[in-house]
Amino acid sequence: MRLPKFDYRRPERIQEACAILLDQPCAKLMAGGTDLLVNMKHRAETPSTIVSLKALPDLDFVQKTNSALRIGALTPLKKVYNDPFVAAKLPALAIAASSVGSYHHQTMGTIGGNLCQQTRCKYFNQSKWWRSSRPLCFKAGGELCHVAKREGVCYSTYCGDVAPALLAFGAEVILTGAHGLRQVPLEEIFSGDGKTPLKIGRGEILTEIVIPNQAADGFSTYGKSANRGSIDFPIVGAAVWRSSSTGESRIALTAVDRKPVRARRLEDFLEGKQLNEETFQAVDGLVAKESRLMPSSIDSLSYKRKLMGLLVQSALSEARGGE
Amino acid sequence: MEKQFSVVGRRLPMLDAAAKVNGSAQFTDDLMLPGMLHGKILRSRLPHAKILNVDVSKAARLRGVKGVVTGAEIPDRQYGIVPKARDEYALAKGKVRYIGDEIAAVCAIDQEIAEEAVELIEVDYEELPSVFDPLDAIKEGAPIIHEGVANNTSFAIRKEFGDVEGAFAASHLVSEDSFYSQPVNHAPLEPHSAVAQHDPIRGQVVLWSSTQIPFFLRRNLAATLQIPESRVRVIKPKVGGGFGQKIDMFAKDFCAAWFAMKLGKPVKFTYERDEVFIGTRQRHPMYLKVKTGMTKDGKILGQQFLAYADGGAYNSTAPTMMALSCFFLMVPYHVPNLLYEGYHVYTNKPVGGAMRGHGIPQARFAVERQLDMMAERLNLDPAEIRWKNSIKAGEPHPGGFVINTCGFAESVRAAAKAIGWKEKRGKLPFGRGVGLGGASFPSGVTNMSHISSGAVVQVGQDASVNVLTGAADIGQGAETVIAQIVAEVLGVSLDDVRVTAADTGATPLDPGTFGSGVTVRAGNAARIAAESVKKRLFECVADELEANPEDLVAKDGVIFVTGSPEINIPFAKALKAYQYKDLPMPLVGRASWMADTSEPTTLFNQPGNFSPSYSFMTQAAEVEVDTKTGKVKVIKMATAHDCGRPINPMLVEGQLEGSIAGGMGQALYENVITEKGQVMNPSFLDYGFPTTLEVPEMESIDIETDDPVGPFGAKEAGEGTQLSPAPAIVNAIYDAIGVHFNELPVTPERILKALEERK
Amino acid sequence: MKQAIALEVNGDTYEVLVSPNQTLLEVLREKLGLTGTKKGCDLGACGACTVLLDGAAYLSCLMLAVDAVGKKIVTIEGLSQGGELHPLQKSFVELGGLQCGFCTPGIIMTAKAVLDEEPQPTEESLKKKMAGNLCRCTGYKKVLDSIMGATARMGGER
Repeated sequence: MRLPKFDYRRPERIQEACAILLDQPCAKLMAGGTDLLVNMKHRAETPSTIVSLKALPDLDFVQKTNSALRIGALTPLKKVYNDPFVAAKLPALAIAASSVGSYHHQTMGTIGGNLCQQTRCKYFNQSKWWRSSRPLCFKAGGELCHVAKREGVCYSTYCGDVAPALLAFGAEVILTGAHGLRQVPLEEIFSGDGKTPLKIGRGEILTEIVIPNQAADGFSTYGKSANRGSIDFPIVGAAVWRSSSTGESRIALTAVDRKPVRARRLEDFLEGKQLNEETFQAVDGLVAKESRLMPSSIDSLSYKRKLMGLLVQSALSEARGGE
Repeated sequence: MEKQFSVVGRRLPMLDAAAKVNGSAQFTDDLMLPGMLHGKILRSRLPHAKILNVDVSKAARLRGVKGVVTGAEIPDRQYGIVPKARDEYALAKGKVRYIGDEIAAVCAIDQEIAEEAVELIEVDYEELPSVFDPLDAIKEGAPIIHEGVANNTSFAIRKEFGDVEGAFAASHLVSEDSFYSQPVNHAPLEPHSAVAQHDPIRGQVVLWSSTQIPFFLRRNLAATLQIPESRVRVIKPKVGGGFGQKIDMFAKDFCAAWFAMKLGKPVKFTYERDEVFIGTRQRHPMYLKVKTGMTKDGKILGQQFLAYADGGAYNSTAPTMMALSCFFLMVPYHVPNLLYEGYHVYTNKPVGGAMRGHGIPQARFAVERQLDMMAERLNLDPAEIRWKNSIKAGEPHPGGFVINTCGFAESVRAAAKAIGWKEKRGKLPFGRGVGLGGASFPSGVTNMSHISSGAVVQVGQDASVNVLTGAADIGQGAETVIAQIVAEVLGVSLDDVRVTAADTGATPLDPGTFGSGVTVRAGNAARIAAESVKKRLFECVADELEANPEDLVAKDGVIFVTGSPEINIPFAKALKAYQYKDLPMPLVGRASWMADTSEPTTLFNQPGNFSPSYSFMTQAAEVEVDTKTGKVKVIKMATAHDCGRPINPMLVEGQLEGSIAGGMGQALYENVITEKGQVMNPSFLDYGFPTTLEVPEMESIDIETDDPVGPFGAKEAGEGTQLSPAPAIVNAIYDAIGVHFNELPVTPERILKALEERK
Repeated sequence: MKQAIALEVNGDTYEVLVSPNQTLLEVLREKLGLTGTKKGCDLGACGACTVLLDGAAYLSCLMLAVDAVGKKIVTIEGLSQGGELHPLQKSFVELGGLQCGFCTPGIIMTAKAVLDEEPQPTEESLKKKMAGNLCRCTGYKKVLDSIMGATARMGGER
């Protein structure tokens, strides 16, 4: 399956990359390429220009500062989870990064690319010929969403492993544009719209992830349920962080909606409560309220629903063990 | 004690192992011929439709496109691997019958242009009503998929042995249960590929193809191209796994040859992964109803089967598959009375074909599950019920099988012991359990002239041995095994033997790799050819050794007199002696071999001894069920296997281990999911067969028997062992959580659902 | 637009004319004739196309050839030195860690990357890192045994 034709750009400075994006509305950024190139072979994405980020200097780092852990967007996932600080203090991130795809994807794929991956759908992640059995779907440029069986919507699902861990840490990201940069909560870059899942300004590039120091002061884990022990996207993934000083909890899920979601209702419920069998009883119901499960994958919804609560409960009971 | 054999029975590396580890082994897609063109096939996007018009004009005009062909242009000649069931065109004529059916093909100067061109072909369809389930397809008024095939039933078989009703009446317990086995894709790592070249003067086509059946492919290709067989030469390069999926001609073979003939240039067609999943073959999904009658102490008195196989859009191996499914219910257990009724039904879905086990795994799953269910009701040990019902060597067989050797009962005991049956069965904590499954498989078929193998063994002046065999090594090590047999006969080392194989223009006839007949059939041909060489060599050196030729032995590079190893002549010197006597060189031995039998069978019409020998095996699984997530971890799988005498135990073990992974895939992971006939998971990602992280600890136990027919006592190895892992695992799940699963695959979701219902 | 690039493969520099949309896998196989690297799925889900880029295991089907400029690329053809098989290769031959051999080059290249970063892997770690290399023939047992067997052979040599 050959890649479609495209213009290839390989800027050596971020500003140059931003300028290309502004100039070429149909350009796409490529970091590791493990997500984009698959979609391009399927003609599910056909950018006019690929802006390869592989020549950008200085975005491959894991750096501890006084207030935060800063990770360059082009840092390979393997380097992230092998970082001693991440491994010791931010286990949710280490587990999530090491559960992405296979060892190869962890070698090639970057943390920024993982966050910005495309949403997935059984009607979208297929070859062009396969998709010709049905009308073009909304995400691919048509009208109809085959999942919702409605026009003008897209119920593809966000399946990234790393995002929930970072959401649970309250991480922020730095978006660099032609005229400077801004730091926003990670949550804000996800639109919740399946067709264009990222809410990043035109000409902006996600260049850095900032994890506040507070995140290292607490329990964290990431639970992933997948068909196999490797390669696969999550059927459901859930990250839990619980502060050791304040008892505050943050919980985030993936593969349950068009974006990674924070389980705020559950977080609020857990506020000031002991983790025990009684509080766990509320988990299923509260988590379900945060999700928007749609049959966008071959996995059954009822199984996904069961797993969501289960993964969160099991993470919370692990957290309890540490308290 | 002197060991019996020097080369046979040794764990030797494959002859081509070095080429496979250093990247020099050439598979079909690795072939690059000068001026080679590249092809691509247009497949139907609809499950059932008339083709009203195919407009190729835009595609033909694209720069770099050299040719386009549609079904309308090719000869009106259907093909199929089973002669009585031919129903397929390389490119569809008039109508398409499943999403993926081939409509047209293009040929261009490079792959990129071919892919672009195929998208420019415009097809006008008239969509027809479709049917996706065989139980719907057999109903009155269901859409007709092939004209003239009533109820979409392309093959039906009904066989009765003994008196089933009488058996049920005499039974203490009669149980009737329903089972379903899902579609499974072979998913060989190598996508199907073909390269063709044409000699316009001699009119000869050479086809390099990823095939398991070079000689049958030659026949099908010649027939569909409407040229004499003598004008087609099929060469099998390395084949990257087949498991039955490469037993057939495919559109890529025909189209490569077609364009090579039309355009005068070499042409390559290689399938994409989703084409392999959708457009080749899969294991037949099957609905089975099984009724079994037993005595109080668990003796099987009679069994009745009703089977509906979902064949998808075409027949492929349909009649053979159904017949195997029927006949192999009568091994490994003694079933004195049997009634089997089976139907192969067309649907508008991907095509069923031969897959490791070929119709038997579906039936085996049902029987092995039901045995456990009945054992429980009779309060008997499932292991005991298995060895108690074991068929025995030499006893009369209701279907006419001649069982010369049978290690089944012993295999049950050995596998049970290896898994810790006594200590574990029914005694492990909730969520853990052990289970057994038994099986038997043929070693090729008897009495079919067209299923014969030839071999030529040639010894040169330098005493090197060259073997010509038509056998198709698809990664299982057939060439190595044949070389070991020849080396053993001639008493030389494996390093002295070279093999040339699977080239219809150079090697003798061989039906190919299917039905697990290669070692016995091609191995025997090679053995006899080598023996004829040896005989003449012995005759030549007998004088010199002052012995009768009959008293000579060839072993470890030396020919010596039985009982007096000091009276000897090295093999190389014997060759010199042969030449000094001015006898004609090279020394050549030839043989043609087919499995003969005193009990004739034509498989479809009359019972009889189906195979020259039968392998037997029991697999024992230990599983752990995560009762929260429903995930099943197979902790260990022990296989006790009677494959006669293993020619190469390392390769046999490899077969067993591979079949465990395949069987556990079928039990727990794999399913070709379709939605209105469209395959929803045509990728390695979504199909999800097991990785290093899923496979269990594996233990292989050899139950050695010495078969009188097989070369050096060898029988089939490695296909039968994929029959019993799935039921062993599902039986172990029952032991773990007390739930009977009679449908495959047993997914985590189904486990959770069942656990909830149990509460 | 095609462009001339220089790729360093197995220690040699090759100048090739490529389009940006050509993957490293396509260029290795079709332009350089290095067909030992296999295309199993072309979508990064089987590992058959694994090559080393600066020592790390890369899926060459998901790598643009133009992005491989400046990297040291090693393919299966470049693993053995001076006519001698690499210890990993020898181990696979002797312990039967292969059957059809189609996935074998990718498996060996991944194993090389794994052992270079972790010379004595635990069984669990090895299984996890090798899980991206699918094999349909062996059931993986002898594959893993072969890699473990090679760790002893390789000793300090790397």
